[in-house]
Amino acid sequence: MGFNFSLTKNHSLKAILTLFFAIACVSFSNAQDLKAGESLYKANCTSCHAIDRKVIGPALKDVIEAQDEAWMVKWIKNSQSLVKAGDPAAVKIFNEYNQSIMSSFPQFSDDDAKSIIAYVKAERDKPKAAPTDAAGAGSGANASAVNDYTIIGLVILIAVLILVVYVLNRVINSLEKLIRINNGEVVDAVVNAIKEKVSTFKWVLLNKKKVFYAGMLFIFVFSIWSWNQMSSINVNTGYQPVQPIAFSHELHAGINQINCQYCHSGAFKSKNASIPSLNVCMNCHNYVQATEKYNGEISPEIKKIYTALDYNPETRIYGKNTKPIEWVRIHNLPDFAYFNHSQHVKVAGLACQQCHGPVEKMTEVYQYSPLTMGWCINCHRTTEVNSKGNAYYDKILAAHEEIKKGKKVTVALLGGLECVKCHY
Amino acid sequence: MENNEKKYWKGLEELHASPDFVKHKSNEFAEELPIDELLTESKVNTPTPRRDFLKALGFGMGAVALAACNEAPVQKAIPYLIKPEEIVPGIPNYYTSNYNGLGVLVKTREGRPIKIEGNPNDPISMGGTDAQAQAAVLDLYDTSRLKNPVVKGVDSNWDAADKLVKSSLAEIAAKGGNIRILTDTILSPSTKSVIADFSSKYANVKQVVFDATSYSGIINANKNSFEKAGIPSYKFDKAAVVVSFDADFLGSWISPVEFTRQYVSLRNHKSLEHKKMSRHIQIETGLSMTGTNADARIAIKPSQHGSAVIALYNELATLAGAAKVSATDLPFAKKLTAIAKELWAAKGNSLVVSGSNDVSVQVVINAINAILGNYGSSIDLDNLSNQYQGNDAEMQDLLAEMNAGKVDALFILGANPAYSFAQATAFTNAMAKVKLKVSFADRANETAASCDVIAPNTHFLESWDDVSARTGVYSVVQPTIAPVYNSRPAAQSLLMWADLPSDYLAYIKAYWEKNIYPSVANTGTFTNFWEASLQSGSVVINQQVAKSYTFNKDINAVANTIRNANKNTSAVELAIYQNTAIRNGEHANNPWLQEMPDPVSKVTWDNYAAINPIFAKELGLTENSMVTIKSANNIVTLPVLMQPGQAMGTVSAAIGYGRTAAGKAGSNVGVNMYPFLSTVNGTFQNYNSSIELVKAEGSYELAQTQTHHTIEGRDIIKEKTLAAYAGHEPAAEGEHHASGEHAESKGEHHADLWAAYQKNGHHHWAMTIDLNACTGCGACVVACNSENNVPVVGRDEVRRRREMHWIRIDRYYTFEDNAGKEITREKEYNQVENYENVKVIHQPMLCQHCDHAPCETVCPVLATMHSSEGLNQMAYNRCVGTRYCANNCPYKVRRFNWFNYWNDDRFANYLHNEAAYLALNPDVTTRFRGVMEKCSFCAQRIQAGKLKAKIEHRPLKDGDVVTACQQGCPANAIVFGDVNDPNSEVAKLIKGDRTYFVLEEINVQPGIGYMTKVRNTIES
Repeated sequence: MGFNFSLTKNHSLKAILTLFFAIACVSFSNAQDLKAGESLYKANCTSCHAIDRKVIGPALKDVIEAQDEAWMVKWIKNSQSLVKAGDPAAVKIFNEYNQSIMSSFPQFSDDDAKSIIAYVKAERDKPKAAPTDAAGAGSGANASAVNDYTIIGLVILIAVLILVVYVLNRVINSLEKLIRINNGEVVDAVVNAIKEKVSTFKWVLLNKKKVFYAGMLFIFVFSIWSWNQMSSINVNTGYQPVQPIAFSHELHAGINQINCQYCHSGAFKSKNASIPSLNVCMNCHNYVQATEKYNGEISPEIKKIYTALDYNPETRIYGKNTKPIEWVRIHNLPDFAYFNHSQHVKVAGLACQQCHGPVEKMTEVYQYSPLTMGWCINCHRTTEVNSKGNAYYDKILAAHEEIKKGKKVTVALLGGLECVKCHY
Repeated sequence: MENNEKKYWKGLEELHASPDFVKHKSNEFAEELPIDELLTESKVNTPTPRRDFLKALGFGMGAVALAACNEAPVQKAIPYLIKPEEIVPGIPNYYTSNYNGLGVLVKTREGRPIKIEGNPNDPISMGGTDAQAQAAVLDLYDTSRLKNPVVKGVDSNWDAADKLVKSSLAEIAAKGGNIRILTDTILSPSTKSVIADFSSKYANVKQVVFDATSYSGIINANKNSFEKAGIPSYKFDKAAVVVSFDADFLGSWISPVEFTRQYVSLRNHKSLEHKKMSRHIQIETGLSMTGTNADARIAIKPSQHGSAVIALYNELATLAGAAKVSATDLPFAKKLTAIAKELWAAKGNSLVVSGSNDVSVQVVINAINAILGNYGSSIDLDNLSNQYQGNDAEMQDLLAEMNAGKVDALFILGANPAYSFAQATAFTNAMAKVKLKVSFADRANETAASCDVIAPNTHFLESWDDVSARTGVYSVVQPTIAPVYNSRPAAQSLLMWADLPSDYLAYIKAYWEKNIYPSVANTGTFTNFWEASLQSGSVVINQQVAKSYTFNKDINAVANTIRNANKNTSAVELAIYQNTAIRNGEHANNPWLQEMPDPVSKVTWDNYAAINPIFAKELGLTENSMVTIKSANNIVTLPVLMQPGQAMGTVSAAIGYGRTAAGKAGSNVGVNMYPFLSTVNGTFQNYNSSIELVKAEGSYELAQTQTHHTIEGRDIIKEKTLAAYAGHEPAAEGEHHASGEHAESKGEHHADLWAAYQKNGHHHWAMTIDLNACTGCGACVVACNSENNVPVVGRDEVRRRREMHWIRIDRYYTFEDNAGKEITREKEYNQVENYENVKVIHQPMLCQHCDHAPCETVCPVLATMHSSEGLNQMAYNRCVGTRYCANNCPYKVRRFNWFNYWNDDRFANYLHNEAAYLALNPDVTTRFRGVMEKCSFCAQRIQAGKLKAKIEHRPLKDGDVVTACQQGCPANAIVFGDVNDPNSEVAKLIKGDRTYFVLEEINVQPGIGYMTKVRNTIES
């Protein structure tokens, strides 16, 4: 590196200047090395190594302490050549890890290897952050409890306030009455009160029609209101149950841009979109363990996958004590309604978001659409059939040319509103 | 036209217009409704008075409203941990397998088998199934199966069972004791090899094969006549004239599915296009399903069976110029002469079979077929059938040995002699003398109950096995699910007990590699061959060319034996038969089979004494009477069924009933008739000629589906003789082709209340049913039950006419007088001497999906309406249960859910249990109480077929959509498809000259075309 180079030739001002420049350079290049090292480390090393604990390979903090940099660079680029050359340290490690061969990285330059080492060193020297997640969760729970109490408290407060207003009102009334009595207006007040009551009754008797219409109006409005209320029974739009694993679609589908089909492969060929089996999760979470977020520990959520599979990340062995994960179903169609994903996704070419909403932005998935029959039907009424390039529709469409009379061919036009299309 | 004159009858009640029948037929509802009682105030104190009812109603409404406000229950979704590669949730997988010799495809969903279809590649099933195969999937989930091995009558485990068996075997082997393995016919060559290995491990082991329905007669006769011990392969597709003596070859005899395919190929629409049709003459005692399909039928007594065969031999011998044997006179000798002439005319192209198990009779049958030159054409003696291998003599020997205390260990695999052996009691007693008794039964059946160890065998859907139903034809049985209960393949148990490696799959593969693979050419490695076999389902190797055989044994002695055997007969003779649904009783615990109506009598859930109505009258019996049948050792009481076509002086009763330990659904249903089997010349006979029949006290109502839906004498059956049909006279003359187009072309104008449906462009689903192909076997009924989650309702509910079948097979009788003249006028019926001369037509009846459906217009809530694809749709969740539609349906095919059959403990013995739910088709909803249901034309299959085409971006092909009834039909009688596709088979058939529509005169424009029955009768 520039730093060493400068140290050897530093006898003049020029040299001092050079030194100054070099130091600046070092601080600059050092930062760059760490960044490059981090990305190289995360892309290539994390599947087998962690910094402060043993995974498949040894904990890297121990290795960098035991070995010098040059040896490390050679080892990273081709560990087997070191072993074959009979390097005692190399042979020892090789045997210690059951002679499992570490992948060679011949594509790394020496600088690449060194920047990884630099990054590992830097990570080792970082002070450990206090574990906060558990406390965070606890406080979150408390917060929600407080929220509940707040609402109850508010309700009580309002009730008390109303009571106070009422009592005050009564007090004022009594006081006014007292004043009136003192003024000798008692008789008038009583008579007036009676008169008022009689007149209200009379008004009702005299305006039967108005009362009738008002009543009808009330019944009408009430009926509409209750109809709407009734029809929203068991419509669970917004249903967002707590899932056994805090799986974030935002992270997977949104940030990481994993295609929906990767996990929900059934959507393209079957009626069920299907929740992925855990072996699909393990394709990535074999090595993606989010250790960087949890101080080198495996993410507790990812650990749930391992527990379910009885998988030991240290030994990489699957046990027999498995326990399936019981997800809570969000989108529940009644048994008498048949829905087929492939018809809509594969044939019609609909985007998942059309029914499921912006899943890629949902940390926790909720039911986006009402999933009522009206909702289905409305879509069938307006959606044009995706017949392009599908020979199945050729004949059918030709025959419909006469019927449609210039209108677009909707699902409904091809019988998409008929009972037995979905109910059998 | 003659059809209008001919009278068809669904039942005798209708024929006689019994007062009860007349009263009921005018009722709107078939069953009695207690309306008057409810309306009279005096009934207020009944268990449910009106006010209480109203209170309950009010409370119920309130409760329902409140309950509806509840939050929806939290539903869990549990994905696989590690998903098997081949499973996609929601998409069925199909596996080839083999059920009892029939190659099948097993449909599984998410790892559980839910439906069985025929395998079109299989040389035996040829894609067809029977009711048993269709119902087999329900047996898998039978809760009456053993959950664990049983040791000394106590639920135990495999270790304890193995320990006991092995230690006892060691003891027996040490003292050189005798071990007997009693099995029914084993079709698996590997299991046979396992038994051979077991036998070589222990000394003195012998296998005894015992079939509940024995074919020893044929096997021994072929040995005597041609030195070929075995059942030949019959080829009904080579037989222009078939004469069957009491062989129910379409219903139960040897290989009914195979025979149905073959038989129908000479009688269906394809054959009739060439104006050709085989001729079938049935000579039998009771009216069998095969008899109902015959062109001519002669009713005989069981004791006349042998004499009739000899008489036919004599007639043929005369024609062939050979010597006759002495024969007894028969009242129907003239008819036999005519039959002999027909056979002789079709020499080498005919087939004579007999259902007798008497060796002598079968020898004469062999002689007849040899005279006719049928060996090498319609009979193949060089590729023998393995379907029945029982040996009656060995079974008798075993009983003697056991009684003598010479048997130390008895292993029982498949056979159930304590139930199905004529000397069952003797056998059970003799079992007490055997030290070690081990049963492989899947339930504690009659025999297993007295065994020391029950080592439950797996169901065929649970384990590997192989099958060879015919010499050189091999199939693999694949497991489609892990064992539901703690069971183990019997072969594996035997291997373990013989201290051999117990991996049965490895054993099968080794067997195949050694014995089958070398005979197959060009298949690559064994693994390739094995996988190819799994894929196609079967392998055919080393098929011999069927040779011609001549008969040159002495027939006089045989004839004498026959005569002597049938010398002394009682006044009434008993014929014992297998019916199409229950057969030998092995699957008696299958509620689908129990509720499948008998093809002829339409009785469910019981066996009965079938008696000719005239003979019954002579005996003083009436409908619902009981009779007692007595033989030397046995006495049973059975309900009487008036059966037209039954020979006078005879009574028929079915075996397979009266099981005491079949399980929840099948125990104590009917009466066991096995003890009545007689033994003649060393083989068990399916008749008993020394019985006494007396009227018994009491009455019993059989659960018959027969006259539940009557036809009011309408012209719904069309029939023709072959001569008339071949004369190019359109069969369904006149007004056929309901669509109105035909009518308009004739210049008539139909006034329609409704606008015509737009039929172009979309699919228009339709069906044709060939009445000439339909044998009435009922496979479609069970296939439909399985596909559409049709509930089983039980005997009492069937009596109340509440069976739920979406497809039923209507059976119509017509009668002839003794001269063979058709009876066309009602008054003539009273002069008929007997009801022996009966002809039958089977007509599958299901929702006709009428274009102008009467049901649709009366529904107040639009729960049933028409689709643009010609389907009559039924939306269950809209239905409020007014039943107007059922009342307005001219075909009476709508079914009402009187109970919540899927969640009501009264139906727990049938399908309402956790295990049986696993057999449900997840693509079809189960219907709730109070809604109407009916055939949907398998809407789920239509949708699936269309979706497949859409996903593959191709037009829908003919055959993409196959209904369950069509797929299950062994006769290919049902064709379904899109009539808007001019190239589809159904579009062609529905325009055929035989096609007519039932009740087309009322212009409902049904979507199912029936093809006129053609009968190959010969005018005398």
